[in-house]
Amino acid sequence: MNTRLLEKEWPALAVAIALGFGFLAATSPAFLTEFNIYVLLRSFCISLLVAFSQMTTLAVGQLNVSIGALGGLVAIVAGGLMEKLGVPIGVALAAGLALGALCGFVNGVLVTRTGIDGFIVTLATASVFDGINLGITKSIPFYKMPAALVAFGTARFHALPYLLIPPVLAAIALAIFLARTSLGRYLLAVGGNPQAAELSGVPRARIIVLAHSLSGFLAAGAALLALAQLGSAQPTIGSDWLILSFAAPIIGGAALGGGYVSVLATALAVVLLTLIQNGLVLEQVDPFWVEFLLGGLILAAVGFDRLRAARAGGG
Amino acid sequence: MRLAVENVGKSFPGVVALDGASLRLEPGEIHALVGENGAGKSTLIKILTGIYRPDRGRLTIDDKEARFASARDAIASGIGAVHQERNLVPRFTVGENIALEQLPMRFGFVDFDAVHKRARKFLDAIDSSIDTRTEVRRLSVAQMQIVEIAKALSLDSGVLLLDEPTASITGHEADALFLILRRLKAQGKAIAFVGHRLEEVLSICDRITVLRDGKVMLSGEPVAKVDRARVVREMVGREERIAEFERAIPQSDTPAMEARELATARGHVGIDFKLMKGEILGLYGLVGAGRTELARALVGDERIVGGQLLMDGTPVASRNVADAVHRQKIGYVSEDRKGEGLILAHSVRANLAITIWRRIADRLGLLRRSSELRVVAPIAARLDVRTGSLEREVIKLSGGNQQKVSIGKWLAAEVKVLLVDEPTVGVDVNAKAAIHEAIAGVAREGVAVLLISSDLPEMVALADRVLVMRDFALIGEVENDRNLERVSRLIMELIQSR
Amino acid sequence: MTADKPATAGRLSILSLASSNLFGLAAIVAVFWAIFVSLTPNIASSFSLFAISRSLGIDIVVGFSTMVVLATGGMNLAIGSIGVCAVMFAGYLMQELGVPSPLALLAALMLGAASGWANGVTIVTTGANAFVVTLASASLFFGAMLITTHGTPFEGLPPELADFGRMRWGFVSPMLALALAIGVALAILFHFTALGREILSVGANTRAARMSGVRVGRAIVVAHTLSGLLAAVAGLMTMARLGAAIPAIGRDWLLPSFLAPVLGGTLLSGGAVSIGGTILGALLIATLRAGILTLQVANFWLQLFLGLVLLCSVALDRYRGGYLERKSARVRA
Repeated sequence: MNTRLLEKEWPALAVAIALGFGFLAATSPAFLTEFNIYVLLRSFCISLLVAFSQMTTLAVGQLNVSIGALGGLVAIVAGGLMEKLGVPIGVALAAGLALGALCGFVNGVLVTRTGIDGFIVTLATASVFDGINLGITKSIPFYKMPAALVAFGTARFHALPYLLIPPVLAAIALAIFLARTSLGRYLLAVGGNPQAAELSGVPRARIIVLAHSLSGFLAAGAALLALAQLGSAQPTIGSDWLILSFAAPIIGGAALGGGYVSVLATALAVVLLTLIQNGLVLEQVDPFWVEFLLGGLILAAVGFDRLRAARAGGG
Repeated sequence: MRLAVENVGKSFPGVVALDGASLRLEPGEIHALVGENGAGKSTLIKILTGIYRPDRGRLTIDDKEARFASARDAIASGIGAVHQERNLVPRFTVGENIALEQLPMRFGFVDFDAVHKRARKFLDAIDSSIDTRTEVRRLSVAQMQIVEIAKALSLDSGVLLLDEPTASITGHEADALFLILRRLKAQGKAIAFVGHRLEEVLSICDRITVLRDGKVMLSGEPVAKVDRARVVREMVGREERIAEFERAIPQSDTPAMEARELATARGHVGIDFKLMKGEILGLYGLVGAGRTELARALVGDERIVGGQLLMDGTPVASRNVADAVHRQKIGYVSEDRKGEGLILAHSVRANLAITIWRRIADRLGLLRRSSELRVVAPIAARLDVRTGSLEREVIKLSGGNQQKVSIGKWLAAEVKVLLVDEPTVGVDVNAKAAIHEAIAGVAREGVAVLLISSDLPEMVALADRVLVMRDFALIGEVENDRNLERVSRLIMELIQSR
Repeated sequence: MTADKPATAGRLSILSLASSNLFGLAAIVAVFWAIFVSLTPNIASSFSLFAISRSLGIDIVVGFSTMVVLATGGMNLAIGSIGVCAVMFAGYLMQELGVPSPLALLAALMLGAASGWANGVTIVTTGANAFVVTLASASLFFGAMLITTHGTPFEGLPPELADFGRMRWGFVSPMLALALAIGVALAILFHFTALGREILSVGANTRAARMSGVRVGRAIVVAHTLSGLLAAVAGLMTMARLGAAIPAIGRDWLLPSFLAPVLGGTLLSGGAVSIGGTILGALLIATLRAGILTLQVANFWLQLFLGLVLLCSVALDRYRGGYLERKSARVRA
């Protein structure tokens, strides 16, 4: 029983979150205020979709380092459509999501058609997306976003931002997709043992393309949330997503080689990371610690994983 | 369903795996496919399942020509298979692995109750003790094998191909499997059974095909008409001439290597043997007996967990491969020369010299081509490595010449003990003779050789004594009097005694 | 297959296959030069050439830093972070503690090597993927640098550093000479030393190397240590060029660090490096950058171009190497 519980990631994460929550509640009076919780949840929304975006590529055993660049491109394209062309919000957002999925699709096709390592492909496409982004904006953001969008970005019900709705829906949908649909199962089967999946009639290449497309779609979602939240289309949206996108799934126990991801544990890892970030602000610790701690947590997760493997194998 | 191949050939670079082989599987029959390691059985199975495409020959289903572009085509045509490699998704449950081909759906979602019910049905037929809700990675190797069999059954295919299905399961589980196979036979399925244990094969199969060196030696004879001795003869290749090597009597009293009650992390227990200087000690056993694993433990790649290993009479403490190679002077010629014997993309020179780079570097740590060649060139000449230049990449050499290189690097290293694992699998006759000569030559120079081989004539030609291994334990020793028939019989009797 | 695989390829293949790749790359560089010179003759001015040679030197060393880990089949995403850590450490030692510059530079190099060593040891002991470990350590190192320096640059460095940055030998910066000297040293390492060739063996076939008695863990740690050292060298060169220790150094190294060796034909899967190719790859990057700068075209073209160039080159390499690849894949199957 003991070892079984150790097998799952979420209990340890839940304990860590509870401890962090308790500590902050006890030491910082500002922590439990409605506004602080609202601020905390706001940054949680975007991070969650970023983490899910990487999680879907990890599920099939791929890496996607273009998430941030893709997000930045989607944000400024959607922003540009609304500001310069006066496209209605719904259409612009749909176009943004479609663009994200398309960019991911391109990543997936390049990976499966050329057989080149996913890391190199997405490193290259990241540079291409960044280039297009800079070409459109010349580094100048689109400031005039439709009022309705900005209002949605700041609207809240007590401590709950409306922005929380899309990522929570995405989490539920993703959990059901991965656990209960045949495509979702194929995704994990390809990640777990590509040969076995292929011998069982799973179309491996198409599944990898699907995972990349989904990853692009989710990254686009994160970018559009950031757009709504900031009230302007900044070309720098996404520039700091890379480490976060890997940190959350890995802390959530995702196997880097593919075949295993956990929506719940990834979400909890994002909660933990958001809590740490918020805690550092409240305790007036140098914000530079965030970067340091992210790296440290990933290494700790890797070490923990190793320990667990040693215990399972050598014990 | 009737599945047949006629006159198929398949070559890999440097190796002819199948040379005009034919096989005909009839409905309502279990067809045994036997042969030694490297005889081409697995290649034939892989052609039948669409994993390999044959270079030539015809494949027919119900007497109509068929072509498989991929493994999926074969599955769609109703051919189910259990391969030697594990084809399971480790983080999925047993049930889902079994049902992965056609996941039962309900309202657009996977119906896991139906998945497990379906899997249960096929699993119960063999072994009801496995829970379908367990993740596959938690199963033992034998249990995984059972799951694979259940998975093949679940396809409801007309043809079932089983590649060594009993290699890692117990007698009890095997009996259950045979019961099912008989039932499936009664249902009119065509079944091919690749096996090593002759008793087993002869008791369950209706017809038998024997392969040797990619050729069919015995083609679909009814089992009732052939006796065991004939099958062994065809497998082993009696007409093969046994070369006589000049063998010296081992010269020293202290064994170069000695194992006392050795136990390994892989499950060997009570391994006792003495390997004398200048001796060639054979180690025979069937696939899965634990011979390769023992060799790996001796060279420091697997953990030794009990007993003692002595080199020249002194006990050896725990170590890694580098220690074994450089300190204790033990070399291992792997059976998997492409995976771990050679660096295919590097030159012959680099592959031969890799073990001595440290030794021949000058005081500044610099390595000169000339000093490398001084050691390596004579070895290449002695082993008659056929290569245009020592700078050629090893991947461009034939299988036999590749094998000469992977033995040659240990000559360069001047090892005291050489562990040789299946040295002539997939090499042609001439290269085989050269490799045999090389091994005998190494022993003449005083190196102690442990020879692992499934090729009995090779064993009889080279070894001084033959140890026999079964289920990770040594079960006996046969003195080699160079009489192939007698030695084969004694070895087979040891192995088949249960 | 790839360009000059130093320790391994035959003479024949060095002459034919390998150099066809290098010649191809050199031809592309020449074409770009022709285009740029015809558009803006300024690019060939002596000052412009000097500036290009200076940044080329840095690009080359950055490329080498990734090349040495690619040799083992690994990667190092922390190159930029290690570089900036070394720079800020050197800046701190010189400006705040008044340590003489040679000592400070030496200490900074040691820090770079130690960081790389830590990466290597973590990878070997945890058995984790080099990608994850160096992604994490990149964040760790960069965070540590920010925490200790608060991101404030050190601008009061000893003048001899900036003097070195401005030094000109004809129209060439000594930094290019330094980079080429490092190239020679690396060529000796990978061609003519047991250690270098062991590193290549580990990259080509880890299992076979281990079974041949190569100490695989040590080879990986050495490669990462060297990578860290080279990242520190590249950082200090950048510092000399700017005349100040600035926290932004190294932020944009990731793409060029992979681009140069991969363009030059170093295999991602390990086992072969091409030093000449890496230099040419860096030259292509420096050429594109200089051309776009002097043409005063918007900078985004550079990003777009570098990405596309990387994609095309690996795709091309894949199709060229396809034959051997397929062959060995079949053997493995």
